[in-house]
Amino acid sequence: MPAPIDILEALLFASDTPLEPERIREVLELPGVAAARELVEALRSRYADRGLQIVEVGGGYRMVTRPELQPWLVRLTRSRTKQRLSRPALETLAIVAYKQPVSRPEVDAIRGVNSEAVLESLLERRLIRIPGRKDAPGRPYLFETTREFLVAFGLRDLGDLPKVEGELLVPELAVVAEHGEAEAQQDPGPGGADVPAGS
Amino acid sequence: MTADAPKILDTSRDFTLRVGDFEGPFDLLLHLCRTNEIDLARLPVRTITDQYLAHLEAIEFRDLEAAGGYLVMAATLIYLKSKLLVPPDPSEIEALDEEGEALRLELEERLRAYARVKGLGAWLAAREAEQALLWGRPVGALPPLEEVPLEDLSVHLVERAVRRLIDEQLRRRPREVEPNPPSILERMTEILTLLRDAWSLLFSSLVGGERRRSEVVVTLLAVLELVRLGRIRTQQTELFGEIVIERQTGETHAGSN
Repeated sequence: MPAPIDILEALLFASDTPLEPERIREVLELPGVAAARELVEALRSRYADRGLQIVEVGGGYRMVTRPELQPWLVRLTRSRTKQRLSRPALETLAIVAYKQPVSRPEVDAIRGVNSEAVLESLLERRLIRIPGRKDAPGRPYLFETTREFLVAFGLRDLGDLPKVEGELLVPELAVVAEHGEAEAQQDPGPGGADVPAGS
Repeated sequence: MTADAPKILDTSRDFTLRVGDFEGPFDLLLHLCRTNEIDLARLPVRTITDQYLAHLEAIEFRDLEAAGGYLVMAATLIYLKSKLLVPPDPSEIEALDEEGEALRLELEERLRAYARVKGLGAWLAAREAEQALLWGRPVGALPPLEEVPLEDLSVHLVERAVRRLIDEQLRRRPREVEPNPPSILERMTEILTLLRDAWSLLFSSLVGGERRRSEVVVTLLAVLELVRLGRIRTQQTELFGEIVIERQTGETHAGSN
C-alpha cells in the first residue's frame, strides 16, 4: 500500500484542474477534509526546495512550477503561450468580478462604452460565463466569473479580490495605474530580458 | 487651449490622439483629471470642459459609434458649463443650480466608479503577470462531455463557432501546385477514344477518384470544347448531378447542348 502522501502527489501531478480538499478526501478515503488539508501541507513541505510548488487556487490545490524558473520554460516552448488580456478586457473582467451577476448594460454604464465585443472574448476564454438572464426589460444576459478566472489570476476565491468598498483613494490608485502602464510598456518581451545568458 | 494639453501628449504625435488611446469618455476624463491632479470629489467644470473639448478635436474617430459616447460626454460637460456662464462667478467655487449640481455629482460618482474599475484592472494585470510565471498542467482543450456546463453556452457562441468554421472552409483553397497540368487537348482525345468503345461516359469517371481541382477543370473544359465542336453531347438531369457524356451520332446535334 503506497503512502497517502505519495498518492496525493500523483493526483496533483495528473490533475489538470485544481483539486478540491473534498475530492482528495473522497479519492484517498480520508476521514475528513481537515485530514486532506493536512496531507497537502505535509506534501508542501516536501516541495519546499524543489522546482515545483503547490498552490491553492479556485477552491483547490494545483501543482505549478516556481516563478523563477519561467525563463527556462519559455525557452523550452520557444514562445510565450500565455497571451495577456488587454486593458479593456481586464477592466471589464474587474466589473464582472465585483458586480456579478451583472448585465451588459450595467457594464456599459460603468465603462461608458459598448462592451459587447470584450464580453464575448472573455466568454470565449471561459473567464466569464452566462448564468442566466436578468429579470429586467429586454431580459439581458447576466455574466459572472468562472473558476478558470480564479485559476488564471491565482485567486483562492472571490474574497481574494482587493476590497474597494466606500470611497476611492485617488492618490493610491494613481500609483497603481502608473504601475499598470509600466507593466504594459514591458509587455513586448517580458520573458526575454530575464532569460539568463549563459546556461 | 493646446497650451494646456498635458505634457505627455505633446510630443511626437502632433496632438493627434487615436481613439484607441482611451477606452471611452470616462477614460479620457479621468486621464485629464489625473494629469491635472484634479480631485475627483470636486470636478472643476470650466477647466475640465475646455480641456475635454480640446482633446476631442484632436482625436481621430474610426466610426460614429466610437465617437457617440465621447460626444454625449461633451454635451453633458458643455451643458454644465453653460450653467456656470451667467452670471460669471468671480469666486473660485463654481456654483451650480440644483439640477446642475445633481448632474455634476452623478458625473463625479461615475468617474470615481470608473477610476476604481481602472485600478482593479491594473491590479488584475499585475496578478496576471505574476501568474504567467507559473506553469501548470494545461487544462485539457475540451472538458469531458459530462462536465460541459450548459449554462456557459449561448446561441451567439454557437453562431460564432459556425461562422468561424465557414470562414475556415473558405480559406481552405486548393494548395497543390501540379508540375504538369493535364492538357485540354489530351483530355479531349482521351474522351473521344473512350467513347469509341462506349456509348456513354460519366463525368465523374473521367475525373478520377482524387477529384483534383485542376483535373476537374481540365475535364470540364475538354467536354465543353467537344460539345462546341459537336463531337459529343451531354446531359445533366439535376443541379450538381452527374454529367452523362454521349457520342454525338450523325449530324443531328441541333437540339443538343
